[in-house]
Amino acid sequence: MTQTSIRDMLYESPGPKAKKRIRFFTGLALILLAALLALVIRQFAVTGQFAEKYWSFFARFTTWRFLGEGLLTTLEAALTGSAIAFILGFLLMRGKLRRNRILRAVSTALIEFTRGVPTLLFIYFFFLVVPKTGWKPSAFWKITLPCAISACGVVAEALRSGVNAVPRGQTEAALSLGLTETRLFYKVVFPQAFRFVIPSLIAELVIVLKDTTFAYIVTCADLMQNAKVLISNYDAMLSVYLVVAVIYILINYLLNKISDRLALKLRRTAAEGSKA
Amino acid sequence: MSQSETPVIELKNVNKHFGDLHVLQDVSLSVKKGEVVVIIGPSGSGKSTLCRTINRLETIDSGEILIEGEPVPQEGRKLAELRSRIGMVFQSFNLFAHMSILDNLTLAPVDVLKIPRKEAREEAMKLLERVGVADQAKKVPAQLSGGQQQRAAIARALAMHPKAMLFDEPTSALDPEMIGEVLSVMTELASEGMTMLIVTHEMNFARQVADRVIFMDGGKIIEENTPDAFFEHPASERAQNFLKTIRDH
Ligand SMILES: Nc1ncnc2c1ncn2[C@@H]1O[C@H](COP(=O)(O)OP(=O)(O)O)[C@@H](O)[C@H]1O
Ligand SMILES: [Mg+2]
Repeated sequence: MTQTSIRDMLYESPGPKAKKRIRFFTGLALILLAALLALVIRQFAVTGQFAEKYWSFFARFTTWRFLGEGLLTTLEAALTGSAIAFILGFLLMRGKLRRNRILRAVSTALIEFTRGVPTLLFIYFFFLVVPKTGWKPSAFWKITLPCAISACGVVAEALRSGVNAVPRGQTEAALSLGLTETRLFYKVVFPQAFRFVIPSLIAELVIVLKDTTFAYIVTCADLMQNAKVLISNYDAMLSVYLVVAVIYILINYLLNKISDRLALKLRRTAAEGSKA
Repeated sequence: MSQSETPVIELKNVNKHFGDLHVLQDVSLSVKKGEVVVIIGPSGSGKSTLCRTINRLETIDSGEILIEGEPVPQEGRKLAELRSRIGMVFQSFNLFAHMSILDNLTLAPVDVLKIPRKEAREEAMKLLERVGVADQAKKVPAQLSGGQQQRAAIARALAMHPKAMLFDEPTSALDPEMIGEVLSVMTELASEGMTMLIVTHEMNFARQVADRVIFMDGGKIIEENTPDAFFEHPASERAQNFLKTIRDH
């Protein structure tokens, strides 16, 4: 079975003339980009950003270990936060799909609230307000929990759209076989819904990962916070930011690749079945 | 009435509305054990709705529906248990899209009837053998032809050892060359004594297997007769017109 990408569905495949045009503009764009890059590099050279003192500490193992420790914390916070967001999002989705009116209203309100409020406000809430209540979570939780809360409403809505996309006939067939609504939800509806929304869920994981860069606010030693320490120690802003940006880009690129692979694989198993 | 005469399916003065639309108007019918009843009638006459009220996929406004003499429970485990005793085959097959054909057949027996998985698998394979799709057991529904899917769906319903089977236009979504294979599975079921209520427009099939034909129009049962009598000499003008339109096809 051939895979139809969204691009294939939106555009007809280009003819010879269109191909020529595409090649021309691709070339032009590349040249412009190269020129821009050259300009930036030249500007850096002029302002002395390539001076050895800004870069030499990257030759030291301790620098990379320090950044590595920060990266681990970042990944830990992002994964823990996403896991919590998934659980909360799942509960909110279940709540919103219930017949009970109160449960539905509460879930809807929570979903809208968490989606509407910027992550930064939740972080400041955990940073400034929560400690005053007497509960003193560690710096790690002060960044992980607000990121999770901020993401759970989006996760809930993604899951709900997946559930709604499962054809009604699937539910009716399961009902007609004597499955109860709870059983059929977990056996028939949710497994299909989950497959539909994996790309949205991974997109949300990337957002959580990016949100954790606010960890410096609560002085949690994540990648960003450690980068800031390096910056002040070596007075080397541009080089450190550049390296850290590349690391973030690489991780998110990797996540997107995993997402694509997973989506493709699931679609394939759906299409070809488990050939045992 | 003695025990043996209790109908498997019985509707008494059933009424149902969709908003202002009176889809089922005082419908009464009964299907005895081993009987095959065919419902025929123009599109929109309420045939599907009638089928779906029997296992309460649609609720009713008034009247009574009895399965083996007992009223259909309104909700919960009791309702699920009743549904498990009545097989249903849909126009659009509705096989579970994310599961292999084999898993489609074992899900409910394991989950509802608590049959051990191994036993359920063995029986499922026998059923798939019977409907002629055993070689497709490991595939997912999308890989099968429509006719194969519908036969698998019939096997899935049979895996629950139903007391009766409801078919809602089981061949209407099929390409013409696949209709025969599904009808022959149904014919075989009928000859084995399965109690069946079938909505279909396949007249030859109806004449062959039906004990009775019920003609519906506008939410009402217009007439009810043996297949030969109904198809040769329909009593009502509506039935005559309807038969003419499908014969002219
Ligand atoms: N869920 C529904 N809501 C509103 N109207 C419906 C619904 N289902 C069916 N109907 C209407 O009820 C009538 C009978 O439908 P149906 O039982 O599907 O007829 P048939 O199966 O004989 O074609 C039709 O007019 C149809 O539009
Ligand atoms: Mg219908």
